[in-house]
Amino acid sequence: MATYVLAQFQDEHALCEAARRLRELGHTDLDAHSPVPLHGIDEALGLRKSAVPLIALVGGVLGASGGYLMQFWMNALDYPINVANRPLHGPPSNIPITFESGVLISVLFIVFGLFALCGFPRPYHPAFDAPGFESATVDALWLSVRTDRTRAEGITHELERLGGTKVSTVPEDER
Amino acid sequence: MSVDTKRHAAVVNRVDPLEPVPVLVGRPDDRELNQTLFAPVWAKTRKGWLVLFALALALTGLLFTAIGYTFAVGIGAWGNNIPVAWAYGIVNFVWWIGIGHAGTLISAILLLFQQKWRTSINRFAEAMTLFAVIQALLFPLIHLGRPWFAFWLFPYPSTLGVWPNFKSPLLWDVFAVSTYFTASLLFWYVGLLPDLAALRDSSKSHAKRVVYGIFSLGWRGSARHWRHYRIAYLLLAGLCTPLVLSVHTIVSFDFAVSQLPGWHTTIFPPYFVAGAIFSGFAMVLTLIIPARKAFGFEHVITEKHLENMAKVLLATGLMVAYGYLSEHFIAWYSGNKYEQFVFWNRANGPYAPVYLLMLFCNVLVPQIFWSGRARRSIWVLWIASILVNVGMWCERFVIIVTSLHRDFLPSSWAIFKPTVVDWSILIGTIGFFGLLFLLFLRFVPSVSASEVKELRRELEHEAAPPHPVERAAR
Amino acid sequence: MSSVKRIGLPVVGQDGPDDAPDCRGADGRRHWRSLEEWSEGAAAAKAEFPRGAAFLPEALTRRGFLQMLGASAALAGVAACRPPRQEIHAYVRHPEQALFPGNPVPYATALARHGHAVGLLVTTVDGRPIKVEGNPDHPESLGASGRLEQATILDLYDPRRIEGFTARKQPKAYRTLLRELATVAATHEKDGGARLRFLTGATGSPLLLDLRRRISERFPRARFHAYESLTEEATADGARLAFGRALDTRLHLDGARIVLALDADFLSDGPSALRLAREFAAHRTPGPDMSRLYVAEAHLSTTGAAADHRFRMKPSEVLGFARQVAAALASSQGLGDLARIAGDAKPTREASAVAEDLARHRGASLVIAGPRQPAAVHAIAHAMNAALGNAGKTVDYAAPPTEEPAGPRQLAALAKDLAAGAVETLVITAWNPVYTAPADVDLEALLTKVPDVLYLAYRPDETSARATWVIGESHPFETWGDARAHDGTVSIVQPLVQPLLESISEVELLAAFLGEAEKGAYQLVQDFWRARSGAGAAFAARWGTWLAKGVVEGTAAKGEAPTVRFADVAGAAGQPPPKAEGLEASFVVDKLDDGRFAENAWLLELPDPITTISWDNAAMVSPRTAQELGVETGTRVELRLRGRKVDAPVFVAPGHADGVVTLPLGWGREAAGPTATNVGFDAGALRGSQAAWIEPGLALAPFGKRKHKLVQTQEHFSMEGRDLALSFDARAWEEEGPKRLEHLRGAVNAMYSPFGYDKQAFKWGMGIDLAKCTGCNGCVVACQAENNIAVVGKAQVARSREMHWLRVDRYFSGPPENPEVVSQPLMCVHCEAAPCEYVCPVNATVHSDEGLNEMVYNRCVGTRYCSNNCPYKVRRFNFLEYQKGKAPLEKLRMNPDVTVRYRGVMEKCTYCVQRIERARIAVRASGQNKIPDGELQTACQQACPSQAIVFGNLADPESRVSKMHQDERRYDLLHFLGTRPRTAYLVRIRNPNPALSA
Repeated sequence: MATYVLAQFQDEHALCEAARRLRELGHTDLDAHSPVPLHGIDEALGLRKSAVPLIALVGGVLGASGGYLMQFWMNALDYPINVANRPLHGPPSNIPITFESGVLISVLFIVFGLFALCGFPRPYHPAFDAPGFESATVDALWLSVRTDRTRAEGITHELERLGGTKVSTVPEDER
Repeated sequence: MSVDTKRHAAVVNRVDPLEPVPVLVGRPDDRELNQTLFAPVWAKTRKGWLVLFALALALTGLLFTAIGYTFAVGIGAWGNNIPVAWAYGIVNFVWWIGIGHAGTLISAILLLFQQKWRTSINRFAEAMTLFAVIQALLFPLIHLGRPWFAFWLFPYPSTLGVWPNFKSPLLWDVFAVSTYFTASLLFWYVGLLPDLAALRDSSKSHAKRVVYGIFSLGWRGSARHWRHYRIAYLLLAGLCTPLVLSVHTIVSFDFAVSQLPGWHTTIFPPYFVAGAIFSGFAMVLTLIIPARKAFGFEHVITEKHLENMAKVLLATGLMVAYGYLSEHFIAWYSGNKYEQFVFWNRANGPYAPVYLLMLFCNVLVPQIFWSGRARRSIWVLWIASILVNVGMWCERFVIIVTSLHRDFLPSSWAIFKPTVVDWSILIGTIGFFGLLFLLFLRFVPSVSASEVKELRRELEHEAAPPHPVERAAR
Repeated sequence: MSSVKRIGLPVVGQDGPDDAPDCRGADGRRHWRSLEEWSEGAAAAKAEFPRGAAFLPEALTRRGFLQMLGASAALAGVAACRPPRQEIHAYVRHPEQALFPGNPVPYATALARHGHAVGLLVTTVDGRPIKVEGNPDHPESLGASGRLEQATILDLYDPRRIEGFTARKQPKAYRTLLRELATVAATHEKDGGARLRFLTGATGSPLLLDLRRRISERFPRARFHAYESLTEEATADGARLAFGRALDTRLHLDGARIVLALDADFLSDGPSALRLAREFAAHRTPGPDMSRLYVAEAHLSTTGAAADHRFRMKPSEVLGFARQVAAALASSQGLGDLARIAGDAKPTREASAVAEDLARHRGASLVIAGPRQPAAVHAIAHAMNAALGNAGKTVDYAAPPTEEPAGPRQLAALAKDLAAGAVETLVITAWNPVYTAPADVDLEALLTKVPDVLYLAYRPDETSARATWVIGESHPFETWGDARAHDGTVSIVQPLVQPLLESISEVELLAAFLGEAEKGAYQLVQDFWRARSGAGAAFAARWGTWLAKGVVEGTAAKGEAPTVRFADVAGAAGQPPPKAEGLEASFVVDKLDDGRFAENAWLLELPDPITTISWDNAAMVSPRTAQELGVETGTRVELRLRGRKVDAPVFVAPGHADGVVTLPLGWGREAAGPTATNVGFDAGALRGSQAAWIEPGLALAPFGKRKHKLVQTQEHFSMEGRDLALSFDARAWEEEGPKRLEHLRGAVNAMYSPFGYDKQAFKWGMGIDLAKCTGCNGCVVACQAENNIAVVGKAQVARSREMHWLRVDRYFSGPPENPEVVSQPLMCVHCEAAPCEYVCPVNATVHSDEGLNEMVYNRCVGTRYCSNNCPYKVRRFNFLEYQKGKAPLEKLRMNPDVTVRYRGVMEKCTYCVQRIERARIAVRASGQNKIPDGELQTACQQACPSQAIVFGNLADPESRVSKMHQDERRYDLLHFLGTRPRTAYLVRIRNPNPALSA
C-alpha cells in the first residue's frame, strides 16, 4: 500500500541535496514540485532525457509525407483533370500544404504527447491532500517520496533531518 | 499593489547597466507576483470593464446580424461587383490575419532568441493572436457565394467524386490558417497550464478551484512534468516560428500567384510578413497600454517593453516602406504598361485618398520613433499604434480593391462602393475581438506569473554569483 | 383548376383532346362555365396593375413585385401550353424529329412591325416556343435576327398580358364577344358605316388588306386610318415628288462600293436592316471591292460608327449637304440633270470628295436618305441615284402595299371626325395610339367623345384605360395570318402554340365585322390564299411548302427604275429649311421601337450600342453644346418645344452635332408594367404632327440639384493605348499592317508544354471579325434568350453586376467631337491556359478535352477568385437570387437545355455547349462522326446579321473558323499573357477617302 511523504523546502539547493540523499538511501520514486523549473533537479532525481523531441520528429515526418501523398493521389491519380493546362502532379504547388500539414501533425503530437507523458488530464492527485501543498504552484518547493507505508516513518524523519518542513504523509488510496 | 521601486533602484542598476529601463521593476517575491498578477482575476468585476463589455457585446451583435443578413440575401448585400469581386471581406481577412502574427512571433521567436523582455507580454500577445485569427477565420466562410458548402474546400471523399484543387492558393490558405489557429491555441494553452494550476491552488471558493482544476489538467509543478514541459514548449516555439512566416507568405500567394497587375509580384511574401509583424505589434501596443494602466502592471510591463516594441514598429515600418518602394520601382522598371498603370492609378485614381492615408500611417508615422522621447511617451506610442492599424487596413484595401477595379480591359472598369453591411461587418469584428479580449483579461492572468517568477530568478542569478551547487548542476 | 395541371405538355403533333378539363372550343380556346371561373382571371388581371411602380425598378423590390405577379398569374391560370390544333409544318428536313419529346424543332413564321415582315424560325420544345432565329430562306432575314425579333419571345410569356375580353366593363366569353361584335357591326349597316372608324397600324398583310377592302365594301362610308408614330410619310412623299407616284425604295448594298447615307441608320433601323447589314459587311474586308461609307448625321448611330467618314451636322443641314453633293456632281462630274437641284449650293471640300467618289463608281454607288429627313432629301437622293445610274442596280423601286403612308396625317383626319362627334364606334388595332399620338392630338380626350371604343390590346396600357371594349390580343406566335416583307415577299404566319391566354388576333377582329369571325384565323388565311393562288387541288401541297419554308414563292414585287422628275425635285429642294431660334429637337428610334417593347426587360437592360446606357433614355447633346448650356451627363433639364414640355436627364454624347438635342422615343410610359412605368422620359410628348422627326426652337433649362443616375454598362471609353480592339486604315494595312500584329499572335513562352488536342475530333474555337461587327447588340439578346440569362434591374446594373455573358465593348478614339468607334463583342474566350481554372479551390471550373473552359455550377462555392484572375472579366456572378419570383408563365420560356443558375455561383459563356451536345447527338445518331461546318452555330453567331461571329471546329482545317484563325488580320486579345484564347479577333479595317484623310 503506497503512500506519499511530502516535505517543503526553502531553497532549491536544500531540495536537491535532500533528493540526492534519499536516492542514496535507495528511495527511487521521488518527485519535486515547484512553481518554476529548478536547475539541476533532473539529475538530482535521476531523470532521463524527455521523449518529446522524438515524438515531434515522428509527427512532423508523418504529417509532411502524408500531406504530399494526399495531394499527389487526389489530383494526379484518383481524379486527374486538365486544370489550366497545368501538369497533373505539380510539386511546386504542393509545397505549402506539405509544410503546413507537417507542422500541424507535429504540433498535435507534441501537445498530446506531452499530456500522455505527464499523465494528463489528472485533476486530482493525492499530493493535493498534503497540508499547505497549494504553495507548490505559488512560491514553495516540495519534495515528495512515493513509498511503502511501512517505510514512511523513516522517510519522514530523514526529511525533517534534511531541513524539510511541513512534512506530511498521504496514503495513495485516500478515498 | 505594494512594490517600492526605490528600494530596488540599486538592484536595478546592477541587473543590466546597458538597459536604462528594467524589464522588471523591483524584485517582488513569488507571492507578491501571484497577488498582483492574479489580482484582476480575483478582483470584483469593475464598472469600466462592464461598460466596455456591453459595448463589445453590442458590436458583436451587429456583426452577427450583418452576417445573418448576408447569408439570407447573398453576397449582393455587400458592395462587391464585377470586376471588384473581392473587397472588404478579403481586406478584413488579411488585416486580421496580419494582426494575429505578433503574438506567436513575440512568444516564439523572442523565446528562441532568449529576449527577456518577451516574458511579461507574451501571454497577452498570444491571446491577441488567437482572437485576431478567430476574426480572420470568419471571412473565408462568410465571403463565399454559398457558405453552406464551405466544407467542400476540405479534402474529403465527396459524392461528387472530385477532390479540391491543390493548385489553388485559396486551398493553401485553408490549410495554413487552420494550422496556424490550432498551433497558436495549443501553444497558448500549454503556456497557460502552470498559471491555471496556480489559480487553482490560490482560489478561495471550491467552485473556482474545481473549474481551474479541470483546466489545469492536474498540473502540480512536478519536476517530471517540467522536464517534458520545457522541451515541448521550446519545440512548439520552434515550430511556430516558421509557421508564422509561412502563414502570411501563403496569404500573400492569394495575390502573388494570380495574374493581376498589382497582385502578381514576387516581393509579396516578405513584404506581407513584415506588414503583418508591423500591424501585429501595433495592435499589441494599442491594447497593452491601456491594460497595464488599468491593472497596474507597470512594474512588469515596463517602458522597456513599450520602447522595444516601438523599435520593432520602426524597423518593420521601414521594411514595409521598402516594399512599397520596390513595388513601384519594379512597375516602372518592367516597362509593362498594365503594371505601370496600376501604380499610377493608385496615386491618381479614384482611390488615391486611401493610398495617401496608407503612406502617411505606414511610412511617415513610424519615423517619429527615431526619437527616444517619442518611444517612451505613452500617448505618442498609443496614437501611433492606432494610426498604424488604420494604415495597414488601407494597405490591404489599396492592394485588393484598387488593383481590381481597373485591370486589363478598360471596358470592364468599375467603382466599388461599400454598403452598410460591409461597414457593419468590419466594425463588428472589432467588437467581437474586444469581447473575447475582455473575457480573457477578466478570467485569465494576462501576464504569465510562472514565467515572470522564472525571469526574476534569472535576473537574480545574473546579479548574484551562482551558488556552487548550481554551478555543479550546470 | 391548378395551373400545374394545365401546364401538361403534350407531344408536338398531337391534338389536345377536345374534352380537355379546361374545355376548349372549336378553335382551342378556353371557355368558362361561370362568371366565377372567369372572374378568377379578371381579379388577377387587375392585381397586375403596377401599383407603386414608381419605386421600381429597384432590383430587389422589382423582384419582389414579380413574385406577386407570379402568384397572380398563377391565379389567372396559365392556359395549357400546347401546339396549335391545326397542322403546322416544321422547318427541319426530318419532321419525325418533332415526335420525340424534348427535341427542339424549328418552325418558320414571320413577324411584322410597321407593316414590314421578317421571316423567322422559332424553336419549339414540347410545344413551347423558346427561341427565335432568322429564317435563311427569307429575303429580309437571310438567317439573321435583330434584338427586337430576339426579344419578342419574352413578350409572349409576359404575365401582364390581357386575358379574355371586356365589353363596357363586362367580361365576355369568346362566342358572346363575337356575337356582340356582329351586333355592333349590324347597327352600322343602315348608314353604311358613316359612324364607324378603324384606327390601325401600318400593314402589308394581304389578308388584312383584303379584309379592309371587304369591310369597306360592306360599310362604304366607314374609314380606315393607319397611324404609325415612326412614320415614313416623308419617305413616301419623297418618292411621289421624284417619280410622281408612291413607290417603295429598295436598297441593294451588295453592288454598292460607295455609299452616302443622309441621316440614314440603315444598319440598325428600317425594314431591311438585317439584309443590309449582311450585304454591307460582305464588303468590309480589305481588297479591291472594299466599300466606303459616308454618313451625314447628327447623333452617333451604329451606321455612323461603321462609317469611314462621318460628317457631323444638324438634321436640318443634311438637305444643304445633299445639295452641295448634287452641285459637285453637276459641276465637276458633269451630271447636268442635278444642276437645277443643286441651285446655288457651293460644294465644300467634303461634298466634292464624296461627289467625286460617287461619280467614279457610277452604277456601283448609292445615296440613301433616312426616313427622318424631309421629302426633298429623299427626292434629291432618288435624283442622284438616277443620275449616277444606280437606279436598277444598287437601288430599285416597287409599288407599296398601301398608297397612303401610315402617320399623323391619317390620324389628323380621324381626329377631326372624333372632335366633331361623328364617330360612334372606333376600332383600334394600332398599338397604344393614346401614347404614340402626337402631342397636339389629344386622343385621350377625343376618345371620350366616342360611345364605343374597341381596343385590341396585348397589355393594359394608356389606351386600354380609355377603351370601352378591351379585347385581349394574341401574340404573333399564337395566331394564323400572313405578312409581307419590304421586298413584297409574303410569308404565312403560322402559330407555334395555342393562345396561352384567351385572346384573338386582328384578323379575327376585322372578320367579326364581316360576320366571319367564327371561321377562325386559320380558315380565313387558307381561304384567302387558296383563292389567290388559284391552284385548286395542288393547293394543299403548296400550302405545306409555304409553311415549311416560311415564304410564299414568287410574291416578291418586281423592281423598276422609273424616270425622275428633276424639275419637281428642284422645286422642292429649292425651298430653304425653316430657320428658328434655339436648339434643334431630333427624335430618334432606339431599342424600344415606338414604345411597344417598353415592357421588355431584356431590351430595357440591354445597353445602348453607343452610350451603353441601360434602363434609361436621355436627351443627348454634344460636349460643346453641353458646355454652352452649362449641363453635364445626369443633369435634369426641362425641355420646352412650342409650349409642350417634358423633364429629362442629359447625356453628353461623343460625336454628337452641336446645337441639336437627340430625343429617343418609346420611353417614359405611364400605364405600363412595373418594369417600364416611369422608366426614361417620354420624348413623344414634345412631338407635333407637323414635324414628326425634326423641329427647331427647342429650349433646354436645367433644374434641381440632384442628378439623375444614368447607369452605363461601360463607363470608360478609352483603350488607354492598349492593343485591345484594333483598327487600321486600308492603306496603312496594305503597307505594314500584318507586321504590326506579329506580337499579338503565335506561340508565347510558357513553363508548361501545351496540352495536346491533336487526337480530338473536335477542337472548338471562335473567330470574331471586327471589320464586320456593327455593334448592334443583337447577339447580346440572342445569348440572353438562349442561355436563360437573368435580368438584374437598374440598381444592380448600377453596381455593375449585369449578367450578360456576351457584352459588346466599344471604344472611342480621336477627337470627342467626332471620334472613331470600334465595337468588340467579348464573351469567354476559352483560354487553353485559363487563369480562372487554377485558382478555383474546388475544381469548379476546369477544361474539357475539346478545349472548352467549363463552369460546373453545382460544384461552385462562389469564392469569385476566378473572376479576379480573369483578365477579360467575362465571368458573371449571381450576387443575389436573380432568377427568383418568376411567374409560371415566364418559366415556360426557359430553355430546358440550360441550367437556371442560383444565387452564389459564377457563370459565363459556354460556347453554347448545349448546342454542341445536341449536334453531337444528332451526328452520332445518324452514324457520322463529323459535324458539318456551319451545321452547329452558337446563339450569337446565328443571330449576327453581319456574320461577324464564326464558331466551329479548329481540328478541321477547312472550317471557316480555322480559316479565320489563319487570317492575316487575326490577333489574340491580351496575347502577351499566354492564355492562348480559343477566340481570335480579326482587326477592323477602315477605308477612308485619301482625298479627305490627307
